[in-house]
Amino acid sequence: MIAKTFPRGGGEIPHRKAATESKPIVAMPAPSVVVIPLIQHIGAICEPLVSIGDKVKMGQKIGEGKQYICAPVHSSVSGKVVAIEERPSLNGNKVLSIVIENDEKDEPISGESNKKILKLSPEAMCKTVREAGIVGMGGAGFPTHVKFQPPMPVDTVLINGAECEPYLTCDHRLMVEKAAEMVGGLLAIMRATGAANGIVCIEDNKPDAIAVVTEAIKDHPELSVEALQVRYPQGAEKQLIKAVLDKEVPSGCLPCESGCIVNNVHTAIAVYEALTEGKASYERVVTVSGGSVVDPRNVLVRIGTSIKELLDFCGGLLGEPGVIISGGPMTGQEVTSLEGPVVKALSGILALSKEEAFFDKNLPCIRCTLCVQACPMGLTPNLLGEYSSKGMFKNAEKLNIDDCIECALCSYVCPAKRALITWIIDGKAGLAAERAKEKVS
Amino acid sequence: MQTKTGPFLRSTLTIEKIMYDVLLALLPAVIAGVVFFGHSALVVLLLSTLSAVITEAIFLRAPFTVKGILGDGSALVTGLLVGLILPPTTAWWIPVLGSFLAISLVKLAFGGIGHNIFNPALGARAILLLAFTSQLVKFTVPFDTITAATPLLTSRSFSWSLVWGNVGGSIGETSVIAILLGAIYLLYKGHINWRIPVGYVGSAFALALLLGLDPWYTITAGGLLFAAAFMATDMVTSPVTPVGELLFGIGCGVLTIVIRQFTPFPEGVTFAVLTMNALAPILESITIPTIFGVSLSKKTRVQTGVVAASVFVVLIGILFSINIIRPTVTPIISNNEHLPITEMLGSADFEVVYEDGVTYYLTRDNEGDPAEVVLIASQGGFNAPIEFLLVLDNKHEIQDIKILDHKEDPGLGELITRDSFLRQFVGLDQNSPFGLGEDIQGITGATISSRALASGVNKAFDKFADTFYPQEGSSLLTDGTYKGKANSFGGVLEVEVDVSSGKISRVEVTKHTDTPGISDGAFAKVPGRIVDQNETKVDAVSGATVTSDAIMKAVQNALDSASTDQVDQSSAGFEIAVDDGIYQGSAKGFGGNFVMDVTVKEGKITELQVVESNETPFIADSALKKLLPAILEAQGPVDTISGATVTSKAVFEAIENALGAGEDTSESTQSQKSFNISVGDGVYQGSAKGFGGDLVIEVTIKSGEITELEIVESKETPFIAEGAFKRLIPAIIEAQGPVDMISGATVTSNAVMEALENAISIKEAR
Repeated sequence: MIAKTFPRGGGEIPHRKAATESKPIVAMPAPSVVVIPLIQHIGAICEPLVSIGDKVKMGQKIGEGKQYICAPVHSSVSGKVVAIEERPSLNGNKVLSIVIENDEKDEPISGESNKKILKLSPEAMCKTVREAGIVGMGGAGFPTHVKFQPPMPVDTVLINGAECEPYLTCDHRLMVEKAAEMVGGLLAIMRATGAANGIVCIEDNKPDAIAVVTEAIKDHPELSVEALQVRYPQGAEKQLIKAVLDKEVPSGCLPCESGCIVNNVHTAIAVYEALTEGKASYERVVTVSGGSVVDPRNVLVRIGTSIKELLDFCGGLLGEPGVIISGGPMTGQEVTSLEGPVVKALSGILALSKEEAFFDKNLPCIRCTLCVQACPMGLTPNLLGEYSSKGMFKNAEKLNIDDCIECALCSYVCPAKRALITWIIDGKAGLAAERAKEKVS
Repeated sequence: MQTKTGPFLRSTLTIEKIMYDVLLALLPAVIAGVVFFGHSALVVLLLSTLSAVITEAIFLRAPFTVKGILGDGSALVTGLLVGLILPPTTAWWIPVLGSFLAISLVKLAFGGIGHNIFNPALGARAILLLAFTSQLVKFTVPFDTITAATPLLTSRSFSWSLVWGNVGGSIGETSVIAILLGAIYLLYKGHINWRIPVGYVGSAFALALLLGLDPWYTITAGGLLFAAAFMATDMVTSPVTPVGELLFGIGCGVLTIVIRQFTPFPEGVTFAVLTMNALAPILESITIPTIFGVSLSKKTRVQTGVVAASVFVVLIGILFSINIIRPTVTPIISNNEHLPITEMLGSADFEVVYEDGVTYYLTRDNEGDPAEVVLIASQGGFNAPIEFLLVLDNKHEIQDIKILDHKEDPGLGELITRDSFLRQFVGLDQNSPFGLGEDIQGITGATISSRALASGVNKAFDKFADTFYPQEGSSLLTDGTYKGKANSFGGVLEVEVDVSSGKISRVEVTKHTDTPGISDGAFAKVPGRIVDQNETKVDAVSGATVTSDAIMKAVQNALDSASTDQVDQSSAGFEIAVDDGIYQGSAKGFGGNFVMDVTVKEGKITELQVVESNETPFIADSALKKLLPAILEAQGPVDTISGATVTSKAVFEAIENALGAGEDTSESTQSQKSFNISVGDGVYQGSAKGFGGDLVIEVTIKSGEITELEIVESKETPFIAEGAFKRLIPAIIEAQGPVDMISGATVTSNAVMEALENAISIKEAR
């Protein structure tokens, strides 16, 4: 049988996962100081619940917001709050953060252990997940409890194990090593949302993960594993739904419009751990890779650990890297501050050597149509880029700039190495600003 | 510090790689060109490529290194393309200038790579084509240096040499195999996709079919395939949207055929692609694809379906109607090939007449006059006589014209062989002026040849009239002395002409003001020639053409007055064969039926009244006001009123019909032919040659009468013939004899009657 995939656009990109895909997850010792940003998710920023000098335990809630779309933050170590101040995040922006000195005791807060998760009501599950501060761990950082209460009934929950970004292997390793927990999380999400089916979607370049997960679900007829073709951006939500369920999420709508929700592998595991052990989201697995990293590996790391320490744990850097990226090389951003902390949504830290990393050249567009052919959303990126870079946001709007999923494949295929996706992302922001202005006036 | 933006991985494909892939794809065409056309082709290619690269390097102030000068390789591609679309024998400066223009004017002036609106190579070719036409159309035969034409001008049908490419043409455009190899490589590499080439070739193929051209020839000859593979697919100047690409290709194909068929340009590719280049942004903006997550509404789908279906139906309709209008495609004839006279005349029963340098193949009508005629004549062209063929219908209007042989310059005088030029002759007759700028538009660059053909056709008509209608010639002149005038160089010129025993016996110039010395030759020789040849049109004296012409015209004027006198004296009046009374007669006028009442009293027309007229108001009215009194006075046809010739003629005809009416009816009943049925009752078969081949009929005779008629075998054009049969058969049975032809199916009608006669006569013979 030919593996499923999405029909439109897309392309093959290098995998470069060999360095870490077969390396087991290694736990990194907690650092002496952690910096916990009060916002690590999409939504409103949290208010600090502690003050300087307070003693905190590992997993203790230290920040919380009243808004619905918000996820609380927790201390990843036990120790003392030494500062509540603005600290640089990965991209250099200053974010209000709580700085905690580690007392090296890793004294956990007394969590309620609850092995009977299937007896919890959906509302209780939702509340527990929110309390645990779980957000989408694939990169987006959308508060997970919101997905637990979809505005319309859903029948299918998809676990996104496509991991189509090059280099990244954290989800791959988690599926191999924590398949049971992931399946537990999937069942919990299905129960919470009332969905009847669960499908784990994995690109077929991870045969070991497919085998392990297939084994793990064998007692659950309502679950299945879908092996997908290796094709970028297979892991994009809309493309995943199209590939597996052959449903097109209508333009401008959420996946629940098509009767399904999508969760990341790591998120499902975090949900399971929150429900069974009461464990808050204070650590995660991060892939540290790239040609400039001495010892690339998948690291279980505390939230708040600085990138510098994380890289040092992996043997440090080989000379001057071409670029250090948070996330994958396609959709990730440059890390400009190595003091910046690991956050909940960080899937990878990549230090690409100068030979590996490519940057924009912005030669003239020769209208080769490769970006049009590649766009999985059927957009015309060359025109969108052109309009956006010239500030003609309204023209870009007519060409559906809002539907761009920012997979960056257009920039990847461009023979003129134009900064298409950068312009388009700026264009989306510019258009939003223009709309806001119009609303005011 | 500026943040670096993602993605941090990029495909290895670069503009340079694309350009070098295109160069590689052009290699087969380069090799084919050099093999077929020798080192001169190589020189052209090298010059054009070098010129392009150097031009770009200078304009961009490129660093003086190999890599800097080659740049992104796009100049190499442009330069090579410019060379490949030039003839191998062109002057050395043509490729140099062409590449310079392509890079500087068409590409860099618009902002360089990616910003040019028009394909640089084709833009340059367009400029060269218009500025240095002859340099662009001098093609040579492969393996030889004889100048020849591109197959687009000499042949019209497919041959395998077009596929290999050993035909005359531009360096890179001749070999289909080489072009396909390159195109397949580009498709494999993903630098082009199927939409533009398939749209281009497919639409050209379809349109060629519709127009009755050889579709395989259409797509393999000339630069069409090369353009479909390498020119129209140029990334910069074609749309980026999938549907836009398809429309772009289709537009190129349609325009190419339209330009080839309906304009004087021998090749349509250049201007077709350039036109579509200009339309590319519009095509793009109207074909933005439907994005992911937006499904078309049912209404939109139905609408699209209906529109597509109706376009399809209309196209099929056009196909049918063209087939009906042009039931057969007359095969093109060349000097050495068989002339399909039978098909042209619609009958195998023709006679051949050779007279005065013209060959006639003709059928005769009932009165023995020529009906349909094919004539072959020649006229001195620019280099050598142009031999041509005219097909005249039974009204002696030109139905078709073909050039059989000529030695006019390739690409210049040769353009007279274009359909678009020749088509102008169709429908003209002996009364047409055949003047350049009047009824015939000459071809720029081929004026002399155009004029030669026009006057050749005119002379052929004159000779045709002289040969078959000699009573209208000068032999009818009445003896006497006549005077005539004409305008000459210096003013009015007067002649005196003596006619004795119906022939011109003396011509004397009685008055002129032309320059002495220059015109003397004309005065000395032209009158003598006129007398010798007994014709008013004789060869002019060179150096004194105007005077010569004036003398001839004056003599003609003099003789015209002689003929007019004669007409007055002779019985050109209406023959009144009816008793006194009022008679009605009708004729076809300008606008339709024209009916008149004619009152006859004591053998004379005393009153004329228009009963029904559909003529143009004002024009016809005033004409009639003058005409009718004149007719009454002359008791016969008078000079037609200018501006209302048709109406005037209709009036004469209607009167004639009215006066002959009684007679006619009696005669027609008496003389109506019927088949001579001398066979006994039974079923008989007979056959005859029809339009498409043998036509076999079966006739049933009962008590000496035809009771049933059946078509057993027919190869006639469907629709036309069937309709004819339906009307013809009952009519024949009713008339028991030949009936009027079904218009539009004359040949078939004839064949049916002939077959019928055969059926009856075969038995008779036994």
